[in-house]
Amino acid sequence: MASTPHAGMRADHKAVADHDGFLRHARFRWIKVALVVCLIALIGYFAADVKPRPYGGSWYGYTLGTAGVLLIFWLALLGIRKRAMTAGRWSLKAWTSAHVYLGLALVVIATLHTGFQFGWNVHTLAYALMMLVIASGIYGAAVYAVLPSTLSSNREQLTLSQMVEGIRAIDRQLHEAAQPLTHSYTEVVLAASEESPFATSLWSRLSGKYPHCATARALTAFQNVASSPDTGPAFATVETLLIRRKAQLDRLRRQTRLKALLEIWLYLHIPGTIALIAALTAHIVSVFYYW
Amino acid sequence: MTFRIRQIEITADGRRIARDTDIAQAELSVGRAAESDIYLPDLAVELRQARIAELSGKRITVEATGTLGFTIDGAVTLAATINCGSGAELRFGNSRISVSLAADEAVLLTIERFDNASGESDEKRSFSLAGVMPSRRWTSWIAALLILGLFLVLPITSHLTREPDPKAQVIGDGSWSPGKLSLAHHALESRCEACHVRPFESVRDAACLSCHKDLHDHAPPQRLAGARADPPLGERFLRAVARQFGKPGPGACVECHREHASAGRMELPRQQFCAGCHGSLRDRLADTKLGNAGDFGMLHPQFTPQVVTDPGNRAMRRISLDDHPRENGGLFFPHKLHLESLGGVAKMGSTLRGERSYGNQLACKDCHHPTEDGVRFLPVRMERDCEACHSLVYDRVGPTFRTLKHGNIPQMIADLSLAQPSRVVVPIRPRPGRYAAGGAYYSDFTAPGGGSVLNRAFSRQGVCGECHTPVFAGGQTSVMPVTQPMRYMMNGWFSHKPHAQQKCSSCHHAEASTSASDLLLPKIAECRTCHLGESSRAPVPSGCAMCHSFHPAASAPRSAKPDRN
Repeated sequence: MASTPHAGMRADHKAVADHDGFLRHARFRWIKVALVVCLIALIGYFAADVKPRPYGGSWYGYTLGTAGVLLIFWLALLGIRKRAMTAGRWSLKAWTSAHVYLGLALVVIATLHTGFQFGWNVHTLAYALMMLVIASGIYGAAVYAVLPSTLSSNREQLTLSQMVEGIRAIDRQLHEAAQPLTHSYTEVVLAASEESPFATSLWSRLSGKYPHCATARALTAFQNVASSPDTGPAFATVETLLIRRKAQLDRLRRQTRLKALLEIWLYLHIPGTIALIAALTAHIVSVFYYW
Repeated sequence: MTFRIRQIEITADGRRIARDTDIAQAELSVGRAAESDIYLPDLAVELRQARIAELSGKRITVEATGTLGFTIDGAVTLAATINCGSGAELRFGNSRISVSLAADEAVLLTIERFDNASGESDEKRSFSLAGVMPSRRWTSWIAALLILGLFLVLPITSHLTREPDPKAQVIGDGSWSPGKLSLAHHALESRCEACHVRPFESVRDAACLSCHKDLHDHAPPQRLAGARADPPLGERFLRAVARQFGKPGPGACVECHREHASAGRMELPRQQFCAGCHGSLRDRLADTKLGNAGDFGMLHPQFTPQVVTDPGNRAMRRISLDDHPRENGGLFFPHKLHLESLGGVAKMGSTLRGERSYGNQLACKDCHHPTEDGVRFLPVRMERDCEACHSLVYDRVGPTFRTLKHGNIPQMIADLSLAQPSRVVVPIRPRPGRYAAGGAYYSDFTAPGGGSVLNRAFSRQGVCGECHTPVFAGGQTSVMPVTQPMRYMMNGWFSHKPHAQQKCSSCHHAEASTSASDLLLPKIAECRTCHLGESSRAPVPSGCAMCHSFHPAASAPRSAKPDRN
């Protein structure tokens, strides 16, 4: 597709366009397409004289339903399409841009398809899953627009393994520096250096709150001791190392939090999509089974 | 300042050996070159990679001398200042140099080689949520299988393997119901298969008719097919699609009676449903007697009530109100005379106020009584509604009177034949207006030409003849049979009950009628003061179904029927 005779002529234009993200792609081409699609769906909804009331089984309902299901399958194909990065008119970026805006248009198409008839049934389940997937997608697009710059500024040109290695380096120094200390102090130092920097709880990952942080506890213990007269030079060294460990840990945790915020939606978006396709299958088959 | 270089080595059996070398120099070189003070035989290290120099106090500086930097506490840098008191860890290639202060204030540089096998991908994974969240792939599979199992496989399996017993229910198909059934079908809520008889086959009329056995067809099918207007191109296409999917065509029950719409009453068919055929029916059915009707306000023929045209054999004919039909029910009765606010009738009525519910003048309700359901009015009954004034007393015996029996002519003839002419109560006054002594009012048995009592009774002024037309049939004098229709519109439904807040005279102009042959029915124009088509802004937007029933029946249309549970 990229090998059109005009490819060279368009190179300049493309070079400029390439700096735009998928949201602004081609001067918002897909938001315009999506708006036109919504407008047509809405006009049709109000123009169609559906008796006795608008519902999914009317001829207009079937039209919207067919459009909706085709759109859903196409949107889901991004999961396969994204594995092949290509350029040109149907570049991955164009595809992603269309995915976002047509996905939003699906809210209008599918809601009109329901005719605002909801209940505790498989049909509304499919609708709810679809809305969940779209809502998580909106979140995903929003965090992709906002978070990556925060993420890289937090990193300060460190690689992720350097972040971990930095903490390990401090841990090794802690191990040496704490040698002269009595057991009650080596215990808290050990607890701090043995603590994994990565939280195992989703809540800590997302909120960045670590109420049981061993490093913070050790630091508090040493800061209390540091004020007493009989503290040796090792106390001060360990305390400094603990302060550094805490600072590095905080940065790493900010990083994991940002990454968690950046990734969490996919845990709804992807399984939600697969569940939606299953519910959609049940919805369509059941409608024709009890035709 | 002294630098103490502590080289840690691990023997073949795993023991750690530390060898200390003190170098009293202000500066140390670090690199792969053999002459380096800190010699690191590692290909990842430059020949001359860095320089370590003492600074004032316990501080040292580390500077890269080549192009590669070095790592301090995990971070790559080109220069760094280290306070040996608090220490730091440098890394060059696969060697770590930890900086600290020995007990004798020498700068201790502990060098240790390490194995660089720690998996970076593991660390990346630790940063991502994958470590704390269940796998997306497994979540997807479980959710999809759960949904397909519960909402597809379970109901279909249950449906296909259920017992032939009609009470056997399909498990799980409740989740397929897109909405509540209407009130009338509420009992079928959990019995989907009652209507959805076969898989992948749309609901057929037979399923409806299995319960609704007494429904009548609107018209013969061929006639219906002929009456239907050709749908526009778009709809023709949709019907073709519907046919491909096995939907029953137009005219099927479900085309009109949509289920699963809501829990209330099933929606009435829209005006458009009728207007599709009736709006231009005459164009397609040349022989139809019906006028085109598409909207009560815009296109509806004048009412054609069924009127008695020949009272003798009670023959009736439907005549349009535009043709000024005259009704001949077999009675003489001037409404005007009876409803006048002044005059004899009003006076008579007020005289009788004590024993009847009359007011200062007669009102409609004094003679016309509604049926129990309030829909129509009962025929007027002489004994109840007229006799208070129109007395049939013909004889007086002492203090009591003898009265003729209404409706039984042979009996009347017999009674009058036996009455003694001298005793027959013959007041000497024309009626109404003057009264005998004591206010009693008697019929006039006199006739202008004289004659027998019987003849006088049948004469136009006589007790019978003032209301009835005498006829001579079968050798006997009799009267014309009286027909009082309770219903004029045989194909349209009208109920007086919802119109109770209206005065009778707003539709029936009885106060100006001087003859019983005036048909006091309102024309369509009068109804249209309140009722216009379904989508109009009239006080009462009125669709076809308000008065008409699709399935021909003498009873009220569904719109006027109470809810069924």
